[in-house]
Amino acid sequence: MLKLKYFGAVAEKIKVQEENIPFSNSSLQELVDALEQKYDLSSLSYSIAVNQKIVQDTNNYMLISNDVVALLPPFAGG
Amino acid sequence: MRYNRQIILPEVGEKGQEKLSHAKVLIIGAGGLGAAILPYLAAAGIGEIGIIDDDSIEISNLQRQVIYKSDAIGKSKALEAKEMALSLNPSIQVNAITDTLNAKNAIPLFEYYDVMVDATDNLHTKYLINDACVVTNKPFVYGSIYKFQGQVSVFNYQNGPTYRCLFPDESSNSKNCVDSGVMGISVGIIGMFQANEVLKMVLEIGNVLSGELLIYNMLNNDQQKFDLVRTNAIALNRLDFEKKYNVVENTVLEITANEALEQMENPDVLFLDVRNEEELPKISLPNTIQIPLSELEENLDQLDSNKTILVYCQSGIRSKKAAEILKKHQFLKVQSIAGGALKLQGIIATNAVSVS
Repeated sequence: MLKLKYFGAVAEKIKVQEENIPFSNSSLQELVDALEQKYDLSSLSYSIAVNQKIVQDTNNYMLISNDVVALLPPFAGG
Repeated sequence: MRYNRQIILPEVGEKGQEKLSHAKVLIIGAGGLGAAILPYLAAAGIGEIGIIDDDSIEISNLQRQVIYKSDAIGKSKALEAKEMALSLNPSIQVNAITDTLNAKNAIPLFEYYDVMVDATDNLHTKYLINDACVVTNKPFVYGSIYKFQGQVSVFNYQNGPTYRCLFPDESSNSKNCVDSGVMGISVGIIGMFQANEVLKMVLEIGNVLSGELLIYNMLNNDQQKFDLVRTNAIALNRLDFEKKYNVVENTVLEITANEALEQMENPDVLFLDVRNEEELPKISLPNTIQIPLSELEENLDQLDSNKTILVYCQSGIRSKKAAEILKKHQFLKVQSIAGGALKLQGIIATNAVSVS
């Protein structure tokens, strides 16, 4: 299983703040691509964290079961 | 006596109060976040506070910018904020700067102050603050809101990660409060987190929120921290900074079709058509090159950056984007032709401009 957490405009677009999905052996980038397609996220920009750590090199990051993946868009209000 | 309740804290003491009184803090923006941060820093005895904002107070600001009174509508935020802070604590110095932060004033301001606090409502200024903090080697206390969620971090603190290490993508368009709405309490909470980071840095107590992004959810009190590291260490120097910002901000991006056509025999001018090949009408001008907008960034080597580049598309929208892309890549003399090929074609047809 993978736990997904969404914030800000990403959560608003997906309409949930958290969800669990079955684990499949994939890279972080493959997961993000799938989410982007499923939820039409291409207009949004966000950073990605796994287990509360920001990951830059998403292509070479292999997920393992029970990872918690967060999509973190920048906020602009003030 | 004024500071007794904080001086009796062993973590502060007379020594800490002395540190506060010598600190110089710049608050960028006198909106919701600024209105929360300013009174607490002033009351705690930060010796010198700058507050920069060129806005004036509007009635729709008052539900969250709680330092302003109803009878101050129409007045300068920076000046009103200064007056409020000084009446709260006349023993400090407050500098009101009734301007927007821009590439020209950022560097001298940041060189003067010790800590920069981001109380802005747009991403463009956050990148500007970040980059100017990198150039001047000053910490950047970040705070931002999206509806009922807030983000806080301290960037560029003792060589820590910067805003660009967290959000490298500058092109994203996140909504501000005007677009998406916000409660006054939300900016108050996030502003308090920011003011707290300022005091910890000045007092050298606790753990500064550097290398961490805090996200606070006002609706369920969920609070999470994410670790980040300094990446591709953006060693921006002053020259890079000035190139990057002054050019983009200051030059006029548009030229009229008439003015553009006057340049058609000029050997130092290059016309760039960013339409796709099949688009009509064809405009045949000397010194023209065609690169569709979508392929522009990969084909910059085809352009001579010493020439003035006049960009056109069908109606003048894509060409503006193209001009921005070119400026980002250090093409200094770029203008977009207003009205695009349709306008050019019209002038060529009616004036029978000779096209060689």
